[in-house]
Amino acid sequence: MTKTWRVFWQEYKHHVIRKRFFLIALSIPLMLLVVMAIAILGVFMTQDKRPVGIIDQAGYLKIQQLPVREEYSPEPALILSYYQNEEAAADALKRREIQAYYLLPLDFIETSKGKLVYIKTWNTNMGYQFDRLLRMNMVESMPADIAYRLMEGDEFTITNLDQSREMSEKAWGNLVVPIAAGLLIMVIIITAGGYLLQALVEEKENRTIEIIVTSVSPNQLMIGKILGDIAVGLTQLIIWSGFLIIGYLLARGSVDWIAQIRLSKEYLILLTLVVIPTFITIAALMAAIGSITTEMREAQQISGYFTLPLMAPYWFSYVLMTSPNGPLAVLLSFFPLTAPVTLIMRSGFTQIPPWQLVINIIELFLLAGLSLWLAGKAFRAGMLNYGKRLSLKEVFAKGKAVG
Amino acid sequence: MQPIIVDKIQKSFGNTRAVDDVSFVVNGGEIFGLLGPNGAGKTTAIRIILDIFKPDKGSVTILGGPMSEAKKNRIGYLPEERGLYQEMPLDRCLIYLAGLKGLSIAESKSRLTRYLDRFDLSPHRTKKVKELSKGMQQKAQLIATLIHEPDVIIIDEPFSALDPVNTQMVKDILAEERHKGKAVIMCTHQMHQVEELCDRLVLIDHGRAMLYGTLAEVRQMYATQDILINATAPLPQKIKGVDHVEEINTHTKLVLIPGFSAQSVLNELVNKRVPIEHFEIAVPSLDEIFIRVVTEGVEKV
Repeated sequence: MTKTWRVFWQEYKHHVIRKRFFLIALSIPLMLLVVMAIAILGVFMTQDKRPVGIIDQAGYLKIQQLPVREEYSPEPALILSYYQNEEAAADALKRREIQAYYLLPLDFIETSKGKLVYIKTWNTNMGYQFDRLLRMNMVESMPADIAYRLMEGDEFTITNLDQSREMSEKAWGNLVVPIAAGLLIMVIIITAGGYLLQALVEEKENRTIEIIVTSVSPNQLMIGKILGDIAVGLTQLIIWSGFLIIGYLLARGSVDWIAQIRLSKEYLILLTLVVIPTFITIAALMAAIGSITTEMREAQQISGYFTLPLMAPYWFSYVLMTSPNGPLAVLLSFFPLTAPVTLIMRSGFTQIPPWQLVINIIELFLLAGLSLWLAGKAFRAGMLNYGKRLSLKEVFAKGKAVG
Repeated sequence: MQPIIVDKIQKSFGNTRAVDDVSFVVNGGEIFGLLGPNGAGKTTAIRIILDIFKPDKGSVTILGGPMSEAKKNRIGYLPEERGLYQEMPLDRCLIYLAGLKGLSIAESKSRLTRYLDRFDLSPHRTKKVKELSKGMQQKAQLIATLIHEPDVIIIDEPFSALDPVNTQMVKDILAEERHKGKAVIMCTHQMHQVEELCDRLVLIDHGRAMLYGTLAEVRQMYATQDILINATAPLPQKIKGVDHVEEINTHTKLVLIPGFSAQSVLNELVNKRVPIEHFEIAVPSLDEIFIRVVTEGVEKV
């Protein structure tokens, strides 16, 4: 156990306690933050913030400005400048003091017909805000509850037959969660597996492995390395989740769709049951590849054969969203390498039949066990031959001949 | 108890028989030479002893039985192709490797300080391994082999990349280990090092043990009836028992007729009043024996 622990700790330290790891771990969330900041800044900088003129000949606007927004939006708020007549507004438009002006004629209440004037272009978002102001004025004299209903519209909750799952139409942020969670977890699993692959190939290249195997058993080595790899991945997951939680806490007060995001207990349990065997499978397969190959480039090429199917369900995102219990979704759930992402996505969009879930998760754990066994075989076979790549047939044949 | 008993081991890879019916014993308190040309099967034999490979036939008894995980802590191995973590600081790398041999962190640190001092590596302890010279890396590798004070030491080409001063230091260390009763197997191509250090040896070629025994026994097997002399006056034209004479650098070699002894030739020279400064039975060097065995391929086991 001590030796397994030492291999584990060495593997963990080798990858985590170094600048490169923290640069990668921090760079992706920071890069996302920078991209978001640039996008928001871009919207903010390019939007026309100038006031919009209004000539209210009908005397329609009892409420003259929209209330201050509680929710954050990069779009500039509508500011109205009131003019007595159209000539004054047109002069202001020519002097570029305003970006456009509205004219509500005397018969506006009867006809609902007004006029909008701008030069070449204007910020159309101001139009949506002005439209809201008009509606606010229309319901202004009504009782507050009726006015609220008319302004905000209705909300339907989508639910399944036994009421065990429900989702608000407006809480579309919940659709983002399964897609983002799957992507985040798979990137971490593949990255951490890549570290393990790199470490094993390096140990073979610099011949340290020959010293190691005369000190520890193949099982101690493999278990230590795979656990170390999982710990590296979990560290990365904790760092990235920490950023996401901070982002969520900061944004939920001002961004409505983020505030609506909910993670159910069942979803978190399912995530755990999918992530654990997938982590073991990928780590073990990476270890197997590292054992039978001689160069990093070759190892990376081979690892693509199973990292590609792992991410493949994203090609079918639309089908999984629109038909989460359809034949393709079920098929992808039953194939062990496409199952992890498929299950994470499907369970976000629908309720997966329990019998399917049980079979899929058993499959994932069986594959994890099989991968560990294969990694052990491959390592023993790989020890026979330095500088020579082994075929799968040789792995099984030579795995028997080595201690 | 003999720490290593290799009994008729055989190992093939595909159609190639890497090791064929090789047997030898290594005693405690001796340095045992494992010799042979490149590709002879030495490394395969070592890997079988270390339980990296399983033999197709035969068996290895190490420290009283088959290899076990506990016994790995009592074995020190210096492979031919050196292996250290290049990106790691020297001290961390050696403490990790010592830890895998069962030493506690505290004990590893304490012993490491002593070894680094002895090997003149203390000023470099925090440098990355890749920043060290080849010779320094070689010394570091030797520390990794010895730090856990193993009972069995297997070292492959221990003197490569070492300057004469460090070579002498390593020789002294190996002699110390022998004195402590450790069993040392040394693989090398440097025959003069074998002659200087090894008590016994086995020579493997094409997977087979061609020579096995003490240094003296091996030399005896290849001893000839030749004599090397230095005379201060010209030799007589005819010496009884001498077939012919060859000049070799500072010596004159007398090749004897079969049936005549060196003693009778010495008597003949004395009788003829030849002034002699040096008289020696011409024993073949290990280099010569090595070349003869490998080129002639005659087994003398």
